[in-house]
Order: sequence, then structure tokens, then C-alpha cells
Amino acid sequence: MKKFIFYFIIASLVFGETKKWDAHSAYLLPQKRWEMGVFQPFRYGYSESIEYSVHPLWFFVMPNFSLKKSQSDFAGFTSASQYKIVYPTPFLNMIAKAGIMGIIAPDFQMPPMLGLSASWLMSKNMAGVDLTLNGGLDLGFAFGDLDTRSTIDIPLVYHRLGVYYNNWGIHTGLDVQKNISEKIDILVDADLRLLPGLKENYSLEHKLLLSWHKSENFRVLTGYKFVMGEYPYGPDMRLLPYIPMAETWVPIIELQWAREKR
Amino acid sequence: MEKFLSSLGVLLILGCDPFVTEFEDSSDAVMYEANSKSDATYDSGTIKVVTWNIRFGIARFPFFGDSCGDDVILDDATIVENMAAIADSLNVIDADIVLLQEVDVSSKRTGYMDQVQYLLDNTNLNYGCYASMWKADFIPSDGIGRIDAGNAILSKYKLTDAERIQLRLRTDQDGLTQYFYLRRNIVKAKIPALTQGSKDFYAVDIHATAFATDDTKKQHIDKYVKTLAEIHSSGDYFVTGGDLNSVPPGSVTDFCLSDMCDGDDYHTDQAEEYHKEGSYFENFDGEPDILGPLYEVYDSAIDSDDANLSIHLTHGPSTSYEMNDIKYDRKLDYLFTNGIWENTSSKTHQAAWELSDHLPVSAVFNVGGE
Repeated sequence: MKKFIFYFIIASLVFGETKKWDAHSAYLLPQKRWEMGVFQPFRYGYSESIEYSVHPLWFFVMPNFSLKKSQSDFAGFTSASQYKIVYPTPFLNMIAKAGIMGIIAPDFQMPPMLGLSASWLMSKNMAGVDLTLNGGLDLGFAFGDLDTRSTIDIPLVYHRLGVYYNNWGIHTGLDVQKNISEKIDILVDADLRLLPGLKENYSLEHKLLLSWHKSENFRVLTGYKFVMGEYPYGPDMRLLPYIPMAETWVPIIELQWAREKR
Repeated sequence: MEKFLSSLGVLLILGCDPFVTEFEDSSDAVMYEANSKSDATYDSGTIKVVTWNIRFGIARFPFFGDSCGDDVILDDATIVENMAAIADSLNVIDADIVLLQEVDVSSKRTGYMDQVQYLLDNTNLNYGCYASMWKADFIPSDGIGRIDAGNAILSKYKLTDAERIQLRLRTDQDGLTQYFYLRRNIVKAKIPALTQGSKDFYAVDIHATAFATDDTKKQHIDKYVKTLAEIHSSGDYFVTGGDLNSVPPGSVTDFCLSDMCDGDDYHTDQAEEYHKEGSYFENFDGEPDILGPLYEVYDSAIDSDDANLSIHLTHGPSTSYEMNDIKYDRKLDYLFTNGIWENTSSKTHQAAWELSDHLPVSAVFNVGGE
């Protein structure tokens, strides 16, 4: 135990490599810089070794918090650990209702639930390409009766909430990023979520994003997300974002801003 | 680059299935077969037909949509129990052709059970065809979620030429509601084994609108009459039926007060709607006699003179028994043929009242009768 505490203290002193606009990687935000997007969380470089993030719009209905912490380089990779905590119950009970936007049947009252996630991230530049590997463990705790019929059976959502029904899950992924020009880069990733023991036990997500950096403080992203997996009704796949009434896919449009506190 | 674009093209095709499935005026029905077929060879004997709206196997569960309940999702074990009871009833009736309405094949509300396949695998019926009336990846209302529900024809004998015939959508809804709402249909199939001489033999199944307050029901019945007339004028036989959501001529047409739930208000100036949707059968001129053309031209399993007798009533809202001690109070389910039903064999199976909010009606087709 003492060794563990000693290691934790030493590790917490490690200064990580910092990088802008790299939420998915092991690089941390420079100290006192914040970044946020329309759909992305607010991230803040608290110190050279710690970065916080929170989804501000979701926070009041689904309290959440994430901490990324730099770790010692491993096998030539810049490394970091990331910890997330989320309390989805208020939001889920908001959408467990009769009528329009009743996503969960009103038959169900969602109990208090807590989601914890720990990930290890490793990044390295190889021949001009930024490569990031990540993997980790997800835990879901329900403090009360969680009816298995209350699942939301749609791609992207089912396996994220599935951890509360399965109590645990594993995630792993690979991100590849390359600068195409001074202002444009491309990110391609693939993420696998596993819920061992559950019949609908996997979901594979892939996205491609092109980003145009207007400046250090603003960028625009566009691309797509593809998700496939096993669901209670069988295998399914979906290209996102998808507009139901128009029955068409549309590209992601994401705007992101950043500033540095002086 | 070429490979990338090809891959993207594949993703676009695979990942862009419609969120809500819409249908052409005419399309192929989905075909089914029992995993283990019973031995059934038609030997020129009688042909028994039954129609039954099985309410997707939730029996008298107080479902929010059509009773005074507010529940949506029944537990899987009870659904299996209900479906087993429905299969047992069908085995006892021992029909050659079964016309079903409100069958779920992949719906959140019924644990994604494929009820067509279940019934084929647990009855003496061997073949089936299915036509969705409500198919969507996700209905964002009342927790319905994913849904695929519709009409099905099951038969001991092979079905061919199965067609889904689209019925007109309701026009009394806003665009968003209509997009996520039901797309009712007629499903029609040929049964070659039952061909009588030079006359082909068809089964036709319909579930007409229940809640429309415009003339949608008239459009549905008109389309039904036209579909049957086409078969008849071709010189072929049909047996047909379904949940017409219409009362027989001479019936009471206003059930608003008996269907009223706690807190509802109808037939008063303060009422948000004067009549309760689905409980009133005079929404347009001629609605009380809308089934007249069917009774006039074809043979009805239950004569129009007897249709309003209590022994032939087929429907009561699922919670009506608990609320008002009413098991059934109106007739909405019918069987017709352009041949002849055997006189004394038609029956409304009221003993099955606990298995759905509709009751099965059966009749025997008189082979060779004119």
C-alpha cells in the first residue's frame, strides 16, 4: 500500500507533454488553457500534469467530471491516465415519461446510478502521424432496482448505458491524426466497447474528422461517425449524424473555441 | 483515395437505412415458414378460417395507447405466457388459415419476440406472410422505442404472391406525428393448394384505422372493397377478414362514455374533444353503414342480422372489465368470402376474452358452394 501511495505521489509530479486540440490523446492541455465545443466538453489545463473536463450543458441533468493526468512515458509513448465519473439518473428520469420525448417507458423509475471509468492513453508521433492507443475499464453501479426493460436500444447509446445493466465493461481504441496542411488535419479513430457477459456485448465506433484551424483559438470540424454493434433486437449499424424525417445522413459540424488564461 | 471513397460508399449504404420505414402502394410481404412443419395436405375437405387481433400478446395489459392504462412494456415472461395461450387457442380452433392483426415481430414493447415465427413454431400452421403497419428504429414517445408491428396471414398450406397493400395515411395529424405513426395495410396472399378448379384461392387480411377522425376509415374500407372486387371479378375465391374498426349496420355508434377513463371529459362543452377517438363511429357521413357494401355483395361469417347480438361482440377496451365489468361490448372483427360459409359453423370465440381486447371469429368455407 505504501508503495502504491509513493508511486501515486511520484506519478502525480510527472509533467506531461502538452498539446492543443488533442482531447483524444495522452497529451494534456497547456496549463491555464481551456477548450470547448458545441458538442465537446469544456476542458481546462489545470497544471502541467492535470487536465479537467466537464460537459457543461449536460452537467445540470447528468453531473459528470473527468480528469486526465500525465504519467511517465511508457515504451517511448507519452502516457496519461484518465478518470471519469458520471451520474446519469436525473437525465434518465427526465426522459422516462409519457408523451413526446418519452425515450424510456414511464413504467420505470431509474434508481440512483454511478458510472466510473478509468483509461490509459499512450501517444506517439511516428513518421509524421500522431498515434494514440487507449484502453480501460468501465464500472456501473445501480443503487436500486434497474429494470432491464428500461434500456435505450439505439446505436451509440445502448452500450454506453449498458455498463449499468452489466455492472462493468471494457473499452479500447486507436486514434490516428495527421496534419494535411498547416491549418488542416485529419483524425481517424476506432473504438471498441465490450460488455462481457451480456448477449449484446460489443459496439464498434469509428469516426473521421477533418478540422480546419482558423487560429489557435478557433477551429471547425466536419466528418462522420459510424457505429455498429449487437443490440437486443440484433446486429445494427448506423452512419451518424442521421436526420430521421429527411432520412439522410448529414456531416458533423462542430465548432470549437479555446483561450488561455494569463 | 479510391479505396477510401468506396469504403465510405459502403458505410453510406449500410448505415443509412430509413429511421422510419415507409412503403410503396404495393410491395412484397415478408414470408415465413415454421421451423418444423406439421403434415398438412389439403384433401378437398373444408377450409376453416379465423381472424384475430392478438394485441401483440399483451392480453388485457393496461397499455397506454388503447385503454385506460398508462403502461408500455410488459415483462417477457408474461408475453411468452400470453403467446403460448394464443397458440393453444389457435391449435384448438385448428384453422387452415389464420388472419392476424397487431402482431409484433421486433418491438421493444414485447421483448423483440418474433410473434409470427413463434406462432408458426407452436401451432399446426406452417407458412406465413407479414406486412408491417408500424416499423421504426425508434419512436421517441412514451418509451415505445423500436417497433415493428403489423398484419400476418398464417396457413397450413404454402402461401405465394404475398402482397402488402398500403392504406392511406391519416390526414388529421401534423407532419411529425404522421411521420412516426402507423402505416396501415391490407395483406393478401394466394394459397395454391386450395385452388378450386380454375379458381385461385386468396386470403386477405386488413386492419383499418381505429382513431382517425377524418375520412381515413372510409378510404381504408373503400380500398378493401376494391381489392376484394378485383379478386372476385377475376373469377377467383377469397376468404377475408380482420379488424375493420367499424361497427355493423344498426349498432350503437357512440361508446365515448363507456370508454371514458378517470379524469376524461366527453360530450360536454368543456371537453377538449367532444368525442373520444376510437370510441365514436360517426365521424363522417355514412360511417354507421360503412360495411353495407361488404354485407351486400359477400357472404359474412356472422349475418348482419346477428352481428349485434351479444354472443357475436368481439371487442372491449382492455381495462373495461376492471372498470365496468365489460368483457366485450361491440363488434369490430369480421370474416367475409365471395364463396359460401357453412351455415352453422361460424363462431365468435368469447371464451378467449382474456387473451386480447379482441376476440377471434372463425368460420368454415363451404368448398364447392355457390
